[in-house]
Amino acid sequence: MRTYLAPGVAVASVAVVMAVGVYAVAVIDGIAGRLASGAGRIGVSVMLDPPRTVALLLMQRRHRTERADGPGWAIAPALLGGLAATALAVVPVARGTAVADPSTGFVVFATAIAFVMIAVFLHGWSPNSLFPLIGAYRYGAQALSLQIPFLLAMLATALPAESLAVMDIVEAQGDLWNVVRQPLGLPIYLVVGVGVSFWGPLNLPDGADLVGGTSAEDAGTDRLAWEFARAAMLFAVAAMGAAAFLGGWWGPLLPGPVWMALKTLCLLVVMVATRHLVARVRIEPFVVACWTMFIPLALVNIFVSGALLL
Amino acid sequence: MAGACAAVGLSAAARRAASRAPVPVFPVAGIGARREMDDLLVEPRLRIVDTPAAANVLLLAGEVPNALVAELALLHDGLSHPRTSLWWTLGAGVAPVIPFSVEVRDSDPSALVDAVVDAHRRLLTGELASSSPQLPDEDGAPWRGVGPYGQGGTGMTGGVPYGRPMAGVAPDRDGLRLDQLTVRIGPFFARFPTGLVLELRLQGDVVQEAQLVLPPSDVPTARVASTPFSDALHVPVRVSVLELERARSHLRSIASTLVSHQLGSLARRVLHLARQVRPGDDEEVERLHRVLRRSQILGWATSGVGHIASDRLEGTAAGPILRASGIARDERTDDPAYVGLGFEPIVHEGSDARARLAQRLAEARHSLELAGRAGDIDHDPESPLESPRGRLAADDLPAQRILPLIPALLAGMEWGDAVSTVVSLDLDTDEVLAMRATDSEFLVP
Repeated sequence: MRTYLAPGVAVASVAVVMAVGVYAVAVIDGIAGRLASGAGRIGVSVMLDPPRTVALLLMQRRHRTERADGPGWAIAPALLGGLAATALAVVPVARGTAVADPSTGFVVFATAIAFVMIAVFLHGWSPNSLFPLIGAYRYGAQALSLQIPFLLAMLATALPAESLAVMDIVEAQGDLWNVVRQPLGLPIYLVVGVGVSFWGPLNLPDGADLVGGTSAEDAGTDRLAWEFARAAMLFAVAAMGAAAFLGGWWGPLLPGPVWMALKTLCLLVVMVATRHLVARVRIEPFVVACWTMFIPLALVNIFVSGALLL
Repeated sequence: MAGACAAVGLSAAARRAASRAPVPVFPVAGIGARREMDDLLVEPRLRIVDTPAAANVLLLAGEVPNALVAELALLHDGLSHPRTSLWWTLGAGVAPVIPFSVEVRDSDPSALVDAVVDAHRRLLTGELASSSPQLPDEDGAPWRGVGPYGQGGTGMTGGVPYGRPMAGVAPDRDGLRLDQLTVRIGPFFARFPTGLVLELRLQGDVVQEAQLVLPPSDVPTARVASTPFSDALHVPVRVSVLELERARSHLRSIASTLVSHQLGSLARRVLHLARQVRPGDDEEVERLHRVLRRSQILGWATSGVGHIASDRLEGTAAGPILRASGIARDERTDDPAYVGLGFEPIVHEGSDARARLAQRLAEARHSLELAGRAGDIDHDPESPLESPRGRLAADDLPAQRILPLIPALLAGMEWGDAVSTVVSLDLDTDEVLAMRATDSEFLVP
C-alpha cells in the first residue's frame, strides 16, 4: 500500500527539509573551508555567515546583460531547485514515512537527475555571455558521461529489493547494507553525485577557470536562487545515497529518522569537503574516465550483484 | 500600519545582517599592488569574487594605467548595484581614471578592509549613492547593414554586428565543421595578471588560436614598482632578504595556482605561510608539500598540462620555468655571493605545469634554507641577478621573454588547461603592464 501526503503538507515538508539541508551544506562548507585554510578558530560566524550572505544577496540588485533571455534566466534555478525537491520527495525518512513513495520512486529520482543538464544549460544560455555559454556546453559533456554510471550504480541497489520503490530498496537492507553488498556502488555514486551537483573538483560548468561559468553574470536573487538550488541538489544526492547504500533508517538504539539524518550528514560531509581537498579535474580526462572506467565498473557492479542473487 | 512597521523593521534587520556578511569585492591590481591584492584573499571580512557581476565594491589598487580607461569603465558598469569604487593608493601618485568614492592611503591591509566594510555599510543604508554608469547606454559600434542578413558577413556567419565578431565556421580537431567564436579575454580576467589580453578563436572549450594583444609602442610605459630584486640591480642587497622574497613570491604563485584549481581554502593557507615565513622555516614548506600532494594539484590536475618543449625555452632564462624542464640554468651559480654558500640549482623534469609547481615548492624551501644561513652576505649589483621569474637586468624583464611563448602554447588546448598553463608561468603584473607591441606578431588593439 503506497501512501501519499496531502499536496500542501508535502510541499511544505519538502521545503523545510530542503532549507535545513541547504543550511547544513553552507555550515559544513564553512567549517571545512576554515579547517583546510588552517585558520584555526571556528567561531560562531560559521553559523551566522550563511544567513548574512542571504541578506546581502537580497539587498544586491539583479544584474542584466544585453539581450538576455529573461524568462530562461529566472526559470533555470527554479527548475534545478524543483528537480532537487522532486528527488528529495521520494527519499524515505523512516519505515512507511516518505513524502511520496511511488512504486517507481527510483525512476522519479533518475528522471530528476537527468533533467539537471537542462537546468544548467538554460542557466548558461540565458545571460547571452561568453563564460556562461562555455560552462553550459561543458556541462553537457560532463553530464552525458556521468549520468550513466550514476544511474547504473543506483540501479544495482534495486536488484536485491526486486523493486523500484525506494522504500523497498531500504527495507531490503535490513540484514546487510548495500554499501557492503555492493562495495563498488557507493564510491561510484559519490564521485558522480558530486559531478551531478557540479560541486568542488567537479564544478566544471561554474568553474574558476570560467570565472564562475554559468553563474558568472548572476547577482542578487539570481545568484541566491542558483546557489540554493545547487546545495539542495547536493543534499538530495546525499539523502538518496544514505537510503540506497547505507540502509536508510536501519540502525540500533536510535529511532529511524535520526539514523537517516546521521547517515545523510555523513555523506554530505564527505561530498562537501571535497571542495576544499581535491583540485578541479580536467574535463577531457574526466569524460574519458567516465566512459572507460566508471561505466564498466558500474556494469561489473550490476552483474556481480545480479549473480549473487541467483 | 503594524504591517508597515514590521516591514520596515525587517528590512532594517536584513540591512544589518547584510552589512556583517563578507563584502563581495572585485580587485584590480595596478602597478606595484599585486602582492597586497593577492593577500586580501585571507581577509575573512572580504569575499574576493571572480566577476564584476558578483561584486558591489570595485577595489582599484596602485597605479592603474590610463591606457585601460575604456576597459575599466566597462568593468565598472558590469558591477551590481548598489556599487562603489575604492582606490587603495599604495604609494602610487596617479589616480585611476574612473571616479572612486573613497581613497585609502594607509598601506595596512586592515585599514583597507575597514574602509571597504564601512563603504559597503554606507551603500546599504543609502548614505553613499550607488555609482552611475560610466558609459552611455548605447551600442559600442553600429550594426552594419551589409550582407544577406544585414550583419556584415556572408551567408549566416561572419561580420561584426555591433562591433562583435559573429561566430564563423571552421574545421575542429576531429575534422568536423563547427562554430568558431572570436573573443577577447582580459585585461581584468580574474585568473590572469592585470593587463594581459588574449584574442582567442574558441571552438566550444578548445582554443584553436591565441594571440597576445599589447598596447602600441607609443603608449608611455609605466614604471615597474620597486621590489628587493629591482633594488638589487642598483644597490647591494642582503642575500637573505632576496631569498626570503623569492620564497614568498613562489608561495604566492602557488596560491594563485591553487585558486585557479578551485582550492581557495588551501590558497589561504599558503598565503598565511607566505606572510609569516622567516629565514630557516624550510620545514614549513615541506609540511605544505605533503598537504598539496593529497589534493592532486601535483597529480592529475596539472600533470601533462602546458608542456613546453625545451628548445622553445632556449635563451629565455625563464628561471623556474626553465629549470622545471630539466635545464640547470640559474644566474645564482655565477654570483660570488651564492658560490660562497655552496649554491646548487634545483631541477625538475617534465616541463609541464606540475613540474613548474613542484619546482617553485622546492625552490621556496631551498630559498628559506639559504636565507637562514646567508648571514650578512650582500648581493653585489655588478653580479648577475636571478629574480623569482628568471634573469633580471635593467630593460630585460622576464615577462618579455615568457609572454611570446603563450600563443603557440595555448593553441589546441581545452580552456581549463589554458588557464592552468598561463597561471603556471607566474607572470608578473608590473612586467605585463610594462609590455608594448614591438613585434609584428603581437596584435595591436
